[in-house]
Amino acid sequence: MTALATPAAPSTPRRVGSLAAAEARLLLRNRTAVVNSILLPLLLVAAIPMMGLDTDALGIDLLVTAAGVPLVFLTYYNLVTTYVARREDLVLQRMRTGELTDGQVLAATAVPTLLVTAGQITLVAIGVAVLGLFPAPVDVVLPLLAVALGAVLMVVLAAASSVFTRTPESAQITTLPVVVGATALSGLFFPVSALPEALATVARLLPLTPVVELVQLGLSGRTSEGELVGGADLWWAALGPLGTLLAWIAIAGFATARWFRWAPRR
Amino acid sequence: MHPSVAPALPSPAGSPTPTPPVPVPPAVEVVDLHRRYGDFAAVRGISFEVRPGEVLALLGVNGAGKTSALEVLEGLAPASGGSVRVLGHDPRRERAAVRRHLGVLLQSSGLPGDLTVTETLQAWAGTLSAPRPVAEALDQVQLTGRAGVRVRSLSGGERRRLDLALALLGRPRVLVLDEPTTGLDPESRRTVWRLVRDLVDDGAAVVLTTHHLEEAEELADRIAVMRAGQVVLAGTREEIAETQPATIRFTLDAGAPQPPVPAAVEVVTPGPRVEWHTRALQPVLAELLAWAAANGVVLRGLQARAASLEQAFLAVANAAC
Repeated sequence: MTALATPAAPSTPRRVGSLAAAEARLLLRNRTAVVNSILLPLLLVAAIPMMGLDTDALGIDLLVTAAGVPLVFLTYYNLVTTYVARREDLVLQRMRTGELTDGQVLAATAVPTLLVTAGQITLVAIGVAVLGLFPAPVDVVLPLLAVALGAVLMVVLAAASSVFTRTPESAQITTLPVVVGATALSGLFFPVSALPEALATVARLLPLTPVVELVQLGLSGRTSEGELVGGADLWWAALGPLGTLLAWIAIAGFATARWFRWAPRR
Repeated sequence: MHPSVAPALPSPAGSPTPTPPVPVPPAVEVVDLHRRYGDFAAVRGISFEVRPGEVLALLGVNGAGKTSALEVLEGLAPASGGSVRVLGHDPRRERAAVRRHLGVLLQSSGLPGDLTVTETLQAWAGTLSAPRPVAEALDQVQLTGRAGVRVRSLSGGERRRLDLALALLGRPRVLVLDEPTTGLDPESRRTVWRLVRDLVDDGAAVVLTTHHLEEAEELADRIAVMRAGQVVLAGTREEIAETQPATIRFTLDAGAPQPPVPAAVEVVTPGPRVEWHTRALQPVLAELLAWAAANGVVLRGLQARAASLEQAFLAVANAAC
């Protein structure tokens, strides 16, 4: 028996891209999702001049919010419901019988959501720039790295959360610890340093906090303790939050690899 | 006594099958497979082999363990014991080596409803190493006329055929079909049978499960009947049918003499509507006819029938464990 004569097999990105393109097409056919994706960030930006606020700090706050809020409310929440819905519709199990690896199936499913997330953050950044609220960031790489790692974390966290989410509807409950708990204490709405010492320590260990800290740090040079740093000190100060972020990715990644369910419970 | 292990060679003893000079390695090799869910043993030590160009049908009532066994072959679940090799590899641990040659049709599976038939095939083809052209795949399952229709709007049978087209899209050398024609109309069923036969003629190895005895008779070179997680009967359809006695029926006119009962006969009803069971149909029938001719007796409505697969299946599939 000879091996089948095959033309060069497609590369991994092309294989994942094929499935991701189909997922993107599905998203575009969902009008409500499209409108929401574009409308929300525009409203966020438009609300600012109406409130008559314009300071340098406001531009930074807006950008930090624009990075943190979509990661939780769009990337994380959307992907929990998507993974659960695809599992309960038996689509995931179907995909798993093909040539893509498990990780590639999960990644391809996440691609459209990640593109919308990136689009929303970009829209707000452009809005802030147009309104003249865009300060020169202290470091360009750090905020981008923070958002990228934050996005990876949200994907694996969503996959891990789907384990204990039975239906897309019950995601409203099962996502609460992250959507409400971790977000409230992330520093998005009030600085972590305003919390009592013990609670602040806990807050810094939550999954979204390091993302907020790192974006804030890169844009303004201000740590979550409120200190201003620059140069090598900036990256020195970034090590702690980066470590926390990577640890969360490792934990959620392990949980996903160990417990992710591809088919409904019978 | 039923064999618990399928014979390694498909040919019944004595048939003049030419032996190939080099033995073809089996495409699928299952040895003493066990699968447990907690305390429940769904598969309890089954073994079989399927060679290229061969179809094995797993028959059994619901809950016999057919799907649980297939999931191990598909690489979707680990075995609790025993070993499974597909093209020489472990389908779970060496998934990458197996997957590109494996076509799988799950018993029930989902496809996103808002993609069209063509888009679904294109997306799947893009993930494969050597897909067939989408147009050819559409034609195979006779969905060319429905190419632009969204999956949501397809009938159940059309969706099943699309599912099959996806399973065949990568030109698999091993095909695992879990109830491929359940819910299909008779015409679609024939389409699927023809497709499977074409693939087998091209050298594919096929394992399928079915409730339909007709399907097993039509497609399978060998059949394994499962009950409560074990193979209770295995062989060609003739071998399986032969495990049950043949039946002879006739009606005697009033006042006609009773025929002598040959030794190899079990009398089910003595008369006037006689029914005999025997494992030696030909000599018993010859004896009966000779007696009738010699005594001038008319055997009204005479029937002589070898046991059917169905009879054999019903005899074992529902028997107490």
